[in-house]
Amino acid sequence: MDALLLGAQLVFNLETMLVILAAAIFGVFVGAVPGLTATMAVALLVPITFYMDPTPAIAAIVTTSAMAIFAGDIPATYLNIPGTPASAAYVGDSNLLAHKGRARETLGMNLICSVFGGLFGTLILVFVSPSLAEVALQFSSYEYFWLALLGLSCAIFISIGSRIKAFLSLMVGLLLSTVGLDMMSGAPRFTFGIPDLMAGVNFIPVMIGMFALNELMLFYGSSNEGRELPSLSKDSVFKQAPRHIKAYWPNMLRGSSIGTLIGALPGAGADIAAWIAYAVGKSRSKEKQAYGTGHIEGIVDASSANNSGISGAWVPALVFGIPGDSITAIVIGVLYMKGMNPGPTIFMDGSGLIYALFIVFFIANLMMLPIGYAAIKSAKVFILTPRKILMPIILCFCIVGAFSINNSITDVWIMLIIGAVGSLLVRCDFPMAPAILGLVLGTTLENSFMSSMLKSNGDLLSFFSRPISAGLGALVILLWCSPLLTMAYKKFKNSRAEKAPRIS
Amino acid sequence: MRDFLMGLAFMVLGAVVFSVASQFPKLASLQYGPSLFPSLIGGGFLIGGLVLSATQLPALRRQLAGSNANTGKVFDFRSILVSLVPCALIVFYIYASEFLGAALCLGIIMLVLMLIRKTSLILALSVSIIASLTIYFLFSRYLLIPLPEGLLNFWG
Repeated sequence: MDALLLGAQLVFNLETMLVILAAAIFGVFVGAVPGLTATMAVALLVPITFYMDPTPAIAAIVTTSAMAIFAGDIPATYLNIPGTPASAAYVGDSNLLAHKGRARETLGMNLICSVFGGLFGTLILVFVSPSLAEVALQFSSYEYFWLALLGLSCAIFISIGSRIKAFLSLMVGLLLSTVGLDMMSGAPRFTFGIPDLMAGVNFIPVMIGMFALNELMLFYGSSNEGRELPSLSKDSVFKQAPRHIKAYWPNMLRGSSIGTLIGALPGAGADIAAWIAYAVGKSRSKEKQAYGTGHIEGIVDASSANNSGISGAWVPALVFGIPGDSITAIVIGVLYMKGMNPGPTIFMDGSGLIYALFIVFFIANLMMLPIGYAAIKSAKVFILTPRKILMPIILCFCIVGAFSINNSITDVWIMLIIGAVGSLLVRCDFPMAPAILGLVLGTTLENSFMSSMLKSNGDLLSFFSRPISAGLGALVILLWCSPLLTMAYKKFKNSRAEKAPRIS
Repeated sequence: MRDFLMGLAFMVLGAVVFSVASQFPKLASLQYGPSLFPSLIGGGFLIGGLVLSATQLPALRRQLAGSNANTGKVFDFRSILVSLVPCALIVFYIYASEFLGAALCLGIIMLVLMLIRKTSLILALSVSIIASLTIYFLFSRYLLIPLPEGLLNFWG
């Protein structure tokens, strides 16, 4: 109880509340401008949060990401351009509804579903994380090795598109994680005689390079400003909402559950959660044929899922230190910088920080309602903000932000090189999330492997000597074998189908 | 074609990583030395690159065997060159900021980028001046980042 009160004190003060308000406005702005993603917003925020106390720093990230995911629906509805990738699943439906003069009604439902999904995910986070943390307290290096490997494997198997490209992207992240002094021997690896690299590659310049500079390069590489004056509708934001909620409340619940679950899987973020919730919603709907033709049901499914995914991603991040998506990968770094080491012990800390984090989640999601409403009413401002003015300013923030982490020009070089490589990879359809997970989890994977080998005198079977470790190991092996098993099952099913007519 | 080339590039990277990792010191007391993970990653690049290239071979053969042998545009080099302008401007900042100062360099970077996208000169100039000074003072005065002062130093 004392910790809860301490947590409330950390949140309900002028500084934190002002930070939450500013982050909410920043999040809405970034989300609503096409081409600027929620991850990019968070990556740009990190250098500033570096100079804040832990609670406002985390509050800024939580609020910005939640707001940006909702605000991505605004340009999706009016311009048919998703503001963030998380709005891509239902962009067609939203835009078709806007053409029917129901843009505000659609955005109103987006807003309600986002708030509902966010609160649902937060409730899961609050109630599930502490119980999971008690189990996680029993974990040793063997379990953490398997968990890290499970996270990295999920990043490949869940990613959209080619798995081999996801694998190579993951290898890039893992390679970056090996730069610096080796934990066991102290030998420098891939440092090229540069003293700044001895401590390893700082993840913040990498994030800024991968998500901000990369976007900038793609923008300048294309000639499309993507801006045409849309006809803004004047319909009511919430008038139809009670009718839709009454009709589609099961979709809200299902979308939020799917979103939280998918968000909690490492490597799968809000965008994948939205796609899967949309697909599940369509497969179970009575009006399947209406999906994709401007139907509100699919929007309810996916819009609930993407915001609940944001909260869900925090469960493994807080309990195990394994990020659920790119945003929580950044958050883990921020938590370490602020002295809040993610892992089960974070819940035993009596300083109230964890309760402050939970309270911030509730406030951020509730605050979405008034700020989101104002954003819907003033959508024109966001849609018409020219990217040709914004992008140069963002580049300057990237340079100064990367420099400010260690006051070192080496970090600016790292941002530049990673941004250029990232841009090339994105152009060739390589996903970026596995690379980020590789960078964040690479050190955990290697260190837990080395510690385990030291403890067991190099006996590899020791990874299966403890029940939880053996279970996690079996899960990883099952995941790796899943393509073969699926193939074998399909072959078996086909051969049975061929035999059936012959018998009859 | 593009994926085939990327596969080859990853194979080369894998070979380089593998050979560099093999030069890391080995310790008698440790069964698995500092070269283990980098070697595995190098191997991963080699295998992944090989699979990526190999899966593109049938399509590549079809393209080359076609009567018009139209291999298509592998990369749009003009757009790649334009997309490299932000990178060039970062290099400009790295080398010029010590002398010119961060504020001036940031202003020049913004101005160039806005003019590339055909923003009117007056708007580009005014936004560049206001934004560069705001960023400079926010980071150097409020967040106390030692951004290079350069010419601003001479003006006091």
